[in-house]
Formats: sequence, C-alpha cells, structure tokens
Amino acid sequence: MKKVKTLLHKYILLVIGFILLILPLFTSQYEFYVVERGVQNAIQVLGLLILIGYSGMMSLGSAALLATGSYTYGILLVKLGISPWLGALLAIIITTLIGTLLAFPSFRLAGPFLVVTTVGFGEIVRILLLNLESLTGGAYGLEGYENLFADSRLVYAFMVVTLLLVAVGTQRISNSKLGLALKSIRQDEVAAEIMGVDVRRAKMVSFALSAMLAGLSGVFLANLTGYMSPDSFTSAESTTYLLMVVMGGMNSVVGAIISSIVITALPEFLRFLSSSRLLVYSLVLLIYLRVHWVKSSRPSCAGVAKKLKINIGNNKSGRGGGNG
Amino acid sequence: MAEQNQENRIVLKIEGLTKRFGGLVAVNELNINVEQGNICALIGPNGSGKTTVLNLITGIYPINGGKIEFLGEPIQGLPPHSVCWRGIARTFQNIRILGSQTVFENALLGKGYGKGGAGIFHTVLNTPRYRKDMAESTDEVNEILEFAGLTELRRERACNLPYGKQRILEIARALVTKPKLLLLDEPAAGLNSQEIYTLMELISKINERGISILLIEHRMEFIGKLADWVFVLNHGSKIAEGTFDVIKENPDVIQAYLGRGGRKLA
Repeated sequence: MKKVKTLLHKYILLVIGFILLILPLFTSQYEFYVVERGVQNAIQVLGLLILIGYSGMMSLGSAALLATGSYTYGILLVKLGISPWLGALLAIIITTLIGTLLAFPSFRLAGPFLVVTTVGFGEIVRILLLNLESLTGGAYGLEGYENLFADSRLVYAFMVVTLLLVAVGTQRISNSKLGLALKSIRQDEVAAEIMGVDVRRAKMVSFALSAMLAGLSGVFLANLTGYMSPDSFTSAESTTYLLMVVMGGMNSVVGAIISSIVITALPEFLRFLSSSRLLVYSLVLLIYLRVHWVKSSRPSCAGVAKKLKINIGNNKSGRGGGNG
Repeated sequence: MAEQNQENRIVLKIEGLTKRFGGLVAVNELNINVEQGNICALIGPNGSGKTTVLNLITGIYPINGGKIEFLGEPIQGLPPHSVCWRGIARTFQNIRILGSQTVFENALLGKGYGKGGAGIFHTVLNTPRYRKDMAESTDEVNEILEFAGLTELRRERACNLPYGKQRILEIARALVTKPKLLLLDEPAAGLNSQEIYTLMELISKINERGISILLIEHRMEFIGKLADWVFVLNHGSKIAEGTFDVIKENPDVIQAYLGRGGRKLA
C-alpha cells in the first residue's frame, strides 16, 4: 500500500494526464467541451498559483490577461492573416509583456490596494475590447480565425500535454530558490529583502510567469470556442479563477488542476436544478470552504486529500493545506 | 603606515549619520567604526535609536545625512538586498523567519535571489547547471546548519521550533549569505539562561570564522563576556565608547540608564 502511495506521489501528474486524454472517449460532445474548458482553465490557474499562491499578490485582473491572449491571437489571425502558430507565440509574448507591467504597481502597493489596481486593469481591458470596434469587433465579438489544429481532438491533446509540462514547470519553480523567494515575499517581504532576495525582480518574474500562462490559456480558449466577445472576460470570471486557486490549496499544483476542472464542471452537474442551480453552486462552495477553513486552516483540495490520507504530490516539504 | 593599516582593518565606518522622522531626530551625527574581527555592542536605553541604526545600515530606511562605508565603499542608498550581497547580514529583534517553510528552506533563503546562479529557464528545464547550482547551495546550507547544530531539525517546519532554536535558525540563515559583518538585534531577548549560553558559544564560534559582529543587547553580562568594544547611544547620539569595563564606570552612561541621581545608586 505504501509503495502504491509513493508511486502515486511520483506519477500523479501522468495519471491525471492519462485520465484527461482518455476522457473524451467516454463523453458526449457537450461534456467534452466542459472538460476542454476545465483543462484550459487549469493552465490559467497554475499561473495564478504562482502569483497568488506562492507570491501572495492578489490579482482580480486575471480575466483581462486571458482576454489579451485570446484577442491578440484572434486579431493577429483575422486582421493580418498570419499563421496560427506564429499568432499564438506573439499572443503569449505580448500578454507576458503587458502582465509584467502590472508588476510595477506591486512595488509600492500591497493587499487591498493592489487588488483594486488589478480590478481597474481588468475593467480597462474589457472596455477597450468593447469600444475598439474596428479591431476587436466590439460587442459583436471576433470570429473567423484558424485553429492550431483543424481537428479539435488534436487541439485538446496538445492542450493536455501543455498542461502537464506547465504543471511540471510550476512544481519545479515551487521547489527552487525562485519559488522560495516568492514564498518569502508572501510571508515577510522585509526579511526576504534583507536576506538578499531582489524582491522587485522576483515580483516581476511572478507577474510575467502568471501572464505568460494566461496568454497561453487565452490562445487555447480562442481555439476551443472559435469565437470571442468581451462578455467572456468580465470581473466575475476573474473571481472564479481566484476561487479555483483558493480551493486548490494555494500551494499545490495538483490541487490547482483538480479544483480548476471540478469548479468548471460543477455548474454543469447541477444543471438538473435548473434556475436554482447557481444558488446551490454557491452554497456547495461556501460549505466546502467553511468546513475546511475550520479543519485545516486553509480550504483546499490538497487539504481534503490530506484528510483522506492521500499524498497528492505536494511540494517536498510535505506541506498540505496548512498555513503557518 | 600604521594609520594605513588601521584604515584597512575597519569593516564598517559610519560618519555623521543622521536620521529624522518628521521632527524627531532618531539618530544624530553618529560616528561608529567596527574593526575587522571584533565583536562590537551597541547599547542604550529604550528608544535611543539602536535598531534604527541597523535599519539605516541595511538600507531599510533612507538616511538624512552622513555616510556609511563598508570595506571602504559607500553603501548608503543601496537597496537592502544589495547591502546583503556586499556582505552585511542581520537578524531581527522579533524573529522574522518563514513559519510555514522548513528549517532547510529558511536557511536556503539566505542564498538570496537575483544575484546570478541558475535562472528561471534553467529552473523550469531542470538543466545540469540548475542541478549543480542547487547541489552546491544545498551543501553550503547543510554545512551551516551543522555548524549551528540544526541538522536534525532541517526538515521541521520553522514555526514548530522552540523559540531559542528559531533565533539560532535566524542567525544560521544570516550566515548562509556569507557575511563579512553580522548585525544581531537583541539576540538574547526572550531566551532562558541555558539558551543564552548556547547562543554565546555560537556567536564566539562565528567570530572565530573571521566574521565581525555588531550586536544590540540589553543583558550586561552578555556584553561583558562577548564584546570587545561598546558604543553607548542615548537620544540618537553616541555618549560614550570603549571597552565594557570602562563603559560601565562612565557617569554619563549610568545617568542615561538610571537617570539623574543614578550615580549615587551605582
């Protein structure tokens, strides 16, 4: 049994990847779309895990960066007619640059002040998308671009592989000096600075990585839906992403992936409740958070797994959902 | 020639250092020289500006006047991490370790971030260069933990450590930065006599490694045993300096601590 656990610990990401890859064989077209969105959200949430979970810099502008990725990809393809792969690369680069600029307010602002700044950024992007009609199509949205692969299943497979690579990278960052520097910023910025951590640089790297993954996720989102409009990138979306990070344990790569997929799918499972499903959805989340707030000081999928005595490949310090 | 040697032996040279918080002059025209290999103590009544001096040296506060030279180079105006990279490490009066990280990770933080070493691409791709860098850092950190007697606790979460061990860990973390000068802000505060004894031994051992030390302390027996040289601060100004035996007889010092009439008491 112990052996199984160690094996599971080591290969948990591969197991998740395998399950995700064979899942489309058993799902309907619609369920497949939900899983696709779950995987795409997970990529975004891993970026937020670095920014919010590790570095402790709260952002509610994540949907705006997702939009930047999506729209850059869409506009480059529709208006300039470049190849999807080049478009994807440029979209990720541009999103990373814009996201890195968001690091500058974080040098002087923290806590609620930083949150408000990111909310402001989110609104600016949404309103720009709505009003730059010649470029973005305004409220009508943007469509008619090519996908990375013509076959949607290939896009999905590529996305799952990307997610796994991103997850491995995020896990490595967590255990590295960079990860430690980011965690030290969350816990005690002054002590970090005194110990020789270049805090500004670390913050910029954190924002850049998070934006890069948002751009990547945005490109995939464009591929999944084939259509984009400003409605998909409201601040409510940002809140949902925040929820996914928090439910994921703020510290665990696997927790973040599971929580992204579960929260994406939860409203669909509750569809039989028709109009009251949003109420139940919120209630389920509240009860979940409440129970684990009390029990493990931090609500999380990682915490639940710890309760169930499963080690889900958390970082080496063996830290589950706890917070000191 | 002798004077030249004297100059070279000075690690930290503070001249005319002044810091004002609004109308309050926290540090006033302070001159301090710390010589190579010495343990110096900074003492004074509460609110005399001792911790402020450390904060000014490490760049947490900008200074209002004067200059701070470290190994012959000015360091005022540098951000704290640059000061650390140049070789000044410090600990805090109220311990500031990362509670939810392990002892090992806390010590590893002393390796800093951003001063070379394997970058983000090496980290993500787990290149040989990253692994070599990490292995070297791990060896260094383990050596320091061994030195500080924390080897058995290296996997423990820092918040689970007893208070005395947390202090030692904070000092160990400072040592990982490979300092030439170590600033200790009330290292003995809140420790019991056994822990203080261990701490004094550790500080002597650190000093034997050739690291100069400037410490703030209230416990006189601690200073009497350890310090080669003592600076006394009152209201942000230096009122005396010398060896402990000389300082403790100084009437100005006694008055600063015990108030007017203190002389009779002492």
